[in-house]
Amino acid sequence: MFNGKLGVIDLSKNKVTIKQTSESLKKKFFGGRGLNSYYLYKLIKPGIDSFSPENVLIFGTGFLTGTLVPNSSRFNVSAKSPETGILGDSNCGGYFAAELRYAGFERLIIKGKAKNPSYIYVNDNKIEIKDANDYWGIDTTDVQQFLRKDLGQVEVACCGLAGENLVRFACVRTGVKNAAGRCGLGAVMGSKNLKAIAVRGTQGIKIKYPEEMLETVEHLKDYIMNSKITSILGSVGTPLLYEVSNTLGAIRTKNSQLNAWSVTLNAEEIEKFVEKMIGCSSCIVHCRHRNMLGGEGPEYTALGLLGANLGIKDPAKVIELNNVCNELGLDISSSGTILSWVFELYEKGVIDKKITEEELHFGDFELAKRLLYKISRREGFGNILAESTKNVARFGEKSKNYLIAVKGLPQSDPHDCRYIKAFALGIATSSRGADHLRSRPTLEIFLKLPKEVKEKIYGEGIPNDPTSYIAKEKTVYFSDNIFAVIDSLGICKFICHGFNSPHFVDYTWMKKLIHCASGWTVNEKDLENVGKRIIDIERMFNNREGVSRKDDSLPKRYFDDPMPLNLSKGHHIDRKEFDKLLTRYYKIRGWTNDGLVKKERVKELEALA
Amino acid sequence: MKYIYVYPEKCTGCRECSIACSLAKFGECNPKKAAITIVRDEFNRYEFPIICYQCEDPVCLKFCHQNAYKIKDGVVIRDEDKCIGCRLCATLCPYNAVTTIDDEIIKCDLCDGDPKCVKYCSTGAIQYLDETEELEKRRKKMAERFLEIKN
Repeated sequence: MFNGKLGVIDLSKNKVTIKQTSESLKKKFFGGRGLNSYYLYKLIKPGIDSFSPENVLIFGTGFLTGTLVPNSSRFNVSAKSPETGILGDSNCGGYFAAELRYAGFERLIIKGKAKNPSYIYVNDNKIEIKDANDYWGIDTTDVQQFLRKDLGQVEVACCGLAGENLVRFACVRTGVKNAAGRCGLGAVMGSKNLKAIAVRGTQGIKIKYPEEMLETVEHLKDYIMNSKITSILGSVGTPLLYEVSNTLGAIRTKNSQLNAWSVTLNAEEIEKFVEKMIGCSSCIVHCRHRNMLGGEGPEYTALGLLGANLGIKDPAKVIELNNVCNELGLDISSSGTILSWVFELYEKGVIDKKITEEELHFGDFELAKRLLYKISRREGFGNILAESTKNVARFGEKSKNYLIAVKGLPQSDPHDCRYIKAFALGIATSSRGADHLRSRPTLEIFLKLPKEVKEKIYGEGIPNDPTSYIAKEKTVYFSDNIFAVIDSLGICKFICHGFNSPHFVDYTWMKKLIHCASGWTVNEKDLENVGKRIIDIERMFNNREGVSRKDDSLPKRYFDDPMPLNLSKGHHIDRKEFDKLLTRYYKIRGWTNDGLVKKERVKELEALA
Repeated sequence: MKYIYVYPEKCTGCRECSIACSLAKFGECNPKKAAITIVRDEFNRYEFPIICYQCEDPVCLKFCHQNAYKIKDGVVIRDEDKCIGCRLCATLCPYNAVTTIDDEIIKCDLCDGDPKCVKYCSTGAIQYLDETEELEKRRKKMAERFLEIKN
């Protein structure tokens, strides 16, 4: 049966309670991101400081995590974000989540603050809070290695120096490079004096219908492996997207002053640094590069944001910055966006040496590397940068005009969203701020995809033109919903219908996989409703923190500066058209015209237990 | 005769092989309760599949006090009824290919000629091959490489 436990750990009281999530709640949210968001809404009082002991930090595995289901490695880390002050949530792969399931737990809810540096040790149904004095101040790889030396073959999720020092964009790391990167959740660990969670388990996940799972997965595996996109992702990984975006003229370059950059960061150049492609638990795509410079990566995000956005062309240097971020426990997306922001502010004279201590300019690898170290230790100018987008208050209102962020979250996607309108709506409305992994309808980038294919997925009336505003609320709505469901099942988006491919795991496949694992009978509509419920409860959390229509906007540059280069030259976001698109999106979501979840829906979701 | 061959250089560490094995044998997903194990250490940068090679003169069989092991059509099989669970076979196996967990002793039996680990591997890191054909293939490859170097 699917009856993993819920561990509730109160670090202030040094107390562990073991509970169970009710079956009725699981049927409404499944697990992973869905249940995490439910618990965040239920357990966090509005208006609290993200660094206070009142913040709640949740590690939740997906419903199917750790099973034979392909790519079912994932978990979500959630809390109120110190970077944005709204819902903080980040999805992560690797081996930690499967191990947590094998140790008998589906989810850990962490409250309070430990008196001294601590770590949590989960070992076959038991949870202990242990002293982490010897592990404090240690980089992410070393601490994981030390814990293995001391405890045996554990899987670890930890924060780095950045998290310990409350850098507002510190990530949670597991393995060499897997990160729950976004929203500063590593800093929430730091604020709780929590260095790491180490898990070890020997128990299996009992499957309701083993034969049926073996058979279903065999078919699904063949289906996914036969797709062209799978073999490309498996051989070059996400860097393949760099060239696609760059050719279009949609690679964020030098803080989006430009929109195209060097071919030296194309996938074929990155491939030269790859030692071996590896996978996460249960993964059949294996998009992770073990690089020859001692780490893993880079992903497309690192190439764009630590390369083009900082004005760096040399792939070896980008890979080195990528590895540095991973060691220090810094979110790559925020790091690259914040650095490029202050570089431009300095060039434009909005800030000067009184704040920055030294000259700032694009294309300077040593400077970027030095600043990353300073941020992680909160030294000098690094202490200021560690405050992320909150620096608008320090740098002045004008600085906001150059900031590529939404709701205080720096944009993760290296893709400049002025050309593809659905991408723009996606980052404007995503529940955690400017992020592409909530709702990006990636298929919009494939310009030659037939109209019928798009209409089949998203509904009628979707034009083939990515620059059109018509019906794009539908593409975002569809993607938002299905990605919320896949995040709750613990399956990687890479095999999700509509993310990279017009095929792959859709609601029908999900229905089959859920049935063989748990015996539950659900239909496609039920699953879509799970997605809608998750989006609504996340919006309720944000509404409660004051988020409304005024916040569902875009960086000023996306509206006011037409793109300068390549195919997308001249494109920008039209304020009026965007506003109309937003209204249409609220309408299909069933939200008020001000972007609020309606009262009756709030009542309905609050009543769930 | 067909046997399992492993290619660590192709192994991504995902453990679908072990999970499929535990699911087929015990109805649960548990990479630690399987006849095939992936030893992986991403910090020291390796992935290595460990599975029984069906030795012709197997130590497990030779030293089993209960005569619980026998060779049937080239496959080393453990008789559960004879086995007393002493775990001597697991201790003595030179490849550590016999798994012991939860009072279970698990040894690869090639799934009656349809090994699940092979079926669910997505990279060809585990293959079920005719030993003669496999040897011919490898010898041919070596010869070609040799000629390449010579030229």
